Amino acid sequence: MIFASGPGTGLRGKVVVFNSLAFMAFFAVVLALHALPLPWTTKKINLLVASYLFYAAWNPPFVILLWVSTVVDWFAAQKLVHAQRPVVRRAWMLLSVVANLGMLGYFKYGHFLLENFSDLMASVGVHYVPPAWDIVLPVGISFYTFATLSYTLDVYLRRALPARKFLDYALFVTFFPHLVAGPIMRPTELVPQFESPRKGSRRQLQFGMVLVTLGLFQKVVLADGFLAKAAEMIYDAEQAPGALDAWVGTLAFSGQIFCDFAGYSTIAIGVAMCLGFAMPDNFRFPYAAVGFSDFWRRWHITLSSWLRDYLYIPLGGNRHGEGRTYMALMGTMLLGGLWHGASWTFVVWGGLHGIYLSVERQLRQRFPGYQPGPVALVALGLLTWTLVNVTWVFFRAHSFSKAWSVLRGMAGVNAAAPILPTMYLATTLLIVAGVVVAHWQMRQRTLESVLQRVSAIPLAVALGLMAFLVVITQGSGSAFIYFQF
Amino acid sequence: MRSSISSSDGTPGSGAAHPDFVRLTAADRPGVAQPVPERDIPERPWGAIWLGAILLAMALIGAWELHWRAFGVTPGYANTDSEWAQQRRRIDHGEGNATVLVGSSRTLFDVQLPVWQQLTGERPIQLALEGTSSLPALEDLAADPKFTGRVLVGVTSSLFFTGFAYRGDAIAKAHKEGPSRRISNWLSMHLVEPYFAFDNPDFALATVIARQEWPVRPGTHPRMAVRKLSNSDADRNTHLWNKLVTDVGYRDLARRIWSQQFTGPPPPAMDTPAKLEALEQKQIDRAVAAVAKLRARGVKVVFLRAPVIGPYYDFEEKIAPRARTWDKLLARTGVPGISFTDYPQLQGLEQPEWSHLSEPAARKFTAALVPLVVSVFQQTPVLAQGTGPR
Repeated sequence: MIFASGPGTGLRGKVVVFNSLAFMAFFAVVLALHALPLPWTTKKINLLVASYLFYAAWNPPFVILLWVSTVVDWFAAQKLVHAQRPVVRRAWMLLSVVANLGMLGYFKYGHFLLENFSDLMASVGVHYVPPAWDIVLPVGISFYTFATLSYTLDVYLRRALPARKFLDYALFVTFFPHLVAGPIMRPTELVPQFESPRKGSRRQLQFGMVLVTLGLFQKVVLADGFLAKAAEMIYDAEQAPGALDAWVGTLAFSGQIFCDFAGYSTIAIGVAMCLGFAMPDNFRFPYAAVGFSDFWRRWHITLSSWLRDYLYIPLGGNRHGEGRTYMALMGTMLLGGLWHGASWTFVVWGGLHGIYLSVERQLRQRFPGYQPGPVALVALGLLTWTLVNVTWVFFRAHSFSKAWSVLRGMAGVNAAAPILPTMYLATTLLIVAGVVVAHWQMRQRTLESVLQRVSAIPLAVALGLMAFLVVITQGSGSAFIYFQF
Repeated sequence: MRSSISSSDGTPGSGAAHPDFVRLTAADRPGVAQPVPERDIPERPWGAIWLGAILLAMALIGAWELHWRAFGVTPGYANTDSEWAQQRRRIDHGEGNATVLVGSSRTLFDVQLPVWQQLTGERPIQLALEGTSSLPALEDLAADPKFTGRVLVGVTSSLFFTGFAYRGDAIAKAHKEGPSRRISNWLSMHLVEPYFAFDNPDFALATVIARQEWPVRPGTHPRMAVRKLSNSDADRNTHLWNKLVTDVGYRDLARRIWSQQFTGPPPPAMDTPAKLEALEQKQIDRAVAAVAKLRARGVKVVFLRAPVIGPYYDFEEKIAPRARTWDKLLARTGVPGISFTDYPQLQGLEQPEWSHLSEPAARKFTAALVPLVVSVFQQTPVLAQGTGPR
């Protein structure tokens, strides 16, 4: 049949995604309420209620999960900070960890565990059919679970004091800009911002909206408009791809996932800025990374630093000898992979990054003090980017057979008929090349430091063009990729 | 002692080694409480920049709108999953006894709700989905005890008997639709769709770019996707776009697009007569089961074959000959059917691209169809439990 493009939904959205008309209306109301001359506590209650509505607009009953996570961690932190005996402190901390990870495990990994148990039983000759598992994954559960966990863990590790007011703490957990897909906020980053009155200044509103427009451009135009389709045509096809198709399909996904997730983070930062709040960077031009430790300082920074602070370091970090360091590194990356989704393909993705980091560590020990020259820097950067692209195959493929098929294609082994039409080859290569070149141009800079030096007219033209392209791309109102995690 | 996921000190690009980074992140501060982030705002005249940007964006959007209006497009309601869901919810909200239309694009474009309403006093609920077998929607109605009315089931042979469902997931989405999507759809129907002609997936930037004359990559056989064919009202009353009648080039393009499926090898699931017949049998079995459930609740059902002409008719007769499909469907389900081939008043109407009626022809068709449907419904006894289809 020859129906190719789906019925358009414009910016009509599934959940309250930032690229939906519902969000635009919601945000306008929140901004208006926040600008009213109301007491600060009232404004915080407004933000809290708005954040619950934001979440409930996806599936109202799941707000209960947010409440559970909020209340458990509030009480656990209150109790452990007042407990004198270490064993009691530890018990309250463990209660928080078990409650949060239990919830995450049930909703996100329950089906996966049952399936694997069934496979394990089958391998020893026991026929076990797991019960039907029709549980909806609560959107953003991995993000807010990690945010609330960091609260009790910071208090337990004596890095931070508990929040003084429940309202400030509840708002930290629920604050809608970061609720469903990060950046994963730490309590010490956000709770203090709720302690004194904040209102977006005119400049914050103006620049916040610049960030929102830039993020929408990345998501709606680049990720959804052009790159997603090329990746789908390779990764969702039955046919094995040849070398060019496999590489272009993978590059398309590489660009898509960056533009999708960095776009989301940029919008979140812009939305928070409009309200007068600051959120941390989540990306720092990662496709210009030289080496994998550098990559993880640039990609999904709030997750990688969370895993470092609450998993890698507690596992021993690099304090207990080489062997233990590599184990901690691999364990962290494998679990980091699993965090993204209940599938072994994500575990392999994390494992590959763990191996890359381990090899890099070995090389640095063998060649201490090595400083690459300009050519070597670019070569090492391209090598890093190429190897990162190999890992994306496991991230995007729905099965190992598909991943192998694409990898064989990338290695030039598949003798396959071409798949991607010229348009998708051209647009993918153009956009991905643009992204990589931009990252290299920006690798030592911030967006703000560059904008500071651009004159007003080019800025106005670029902003106007981006807004125009967002509108005419129409978008499918599709959810951000990281919502599924 | 260093505690970091990174094994390196002074990694190129790290904040410590490159003070050019004006903003440190958690990546640069391992194992400590992270401070309140600081965000700098470039010192630029953002008010003036925004004014210029908004004026430019409005001018460009205006030009884009004018371009598509000059192409013959008029603002109208979108045929989206949400708008289908909105009509589907009418059954849950007190209209369970209504007349419902399910089918594919022929039912959607050819049956005109205003004419139906004029003749019967009732405006049916339009649940047909283009490119989609009517079976998923029929099964959905069968599973809904709230539905106790009448259902007209459009049968497009090439879709119904192959089970092809281009928009089959609209049904599942409708049942899962959350408040956000409903709000977005409401906003779109009130603030966007009635005013902007370009708000149509056919004119989305990526689609427009894909339809340019790109060099064909050797070894690929790009197929043209179906273009805009229809205009819809707020309740999904839909008719063929008049451009198919007035613009010979556009009509010929539509015909060429349909023709792509008339030649070439069939899909793997249908590449032998045995496979094809098994597929047809499966669809008929599904219909039998759905009809049995509906009739057990007293729902009256009628099948409809809407007109198709020319090469499209030949194609459908080739892959799904009437005797093997339509006749068998009626016999197995025990449901009456109206095939355009049996009624002269349903034939000889204007079908610019062979598959759908022009808007005036659709009105004539509906006027001729409604008395037939009403008569069938009047003659259909309400079956008692256990006396259903075979």
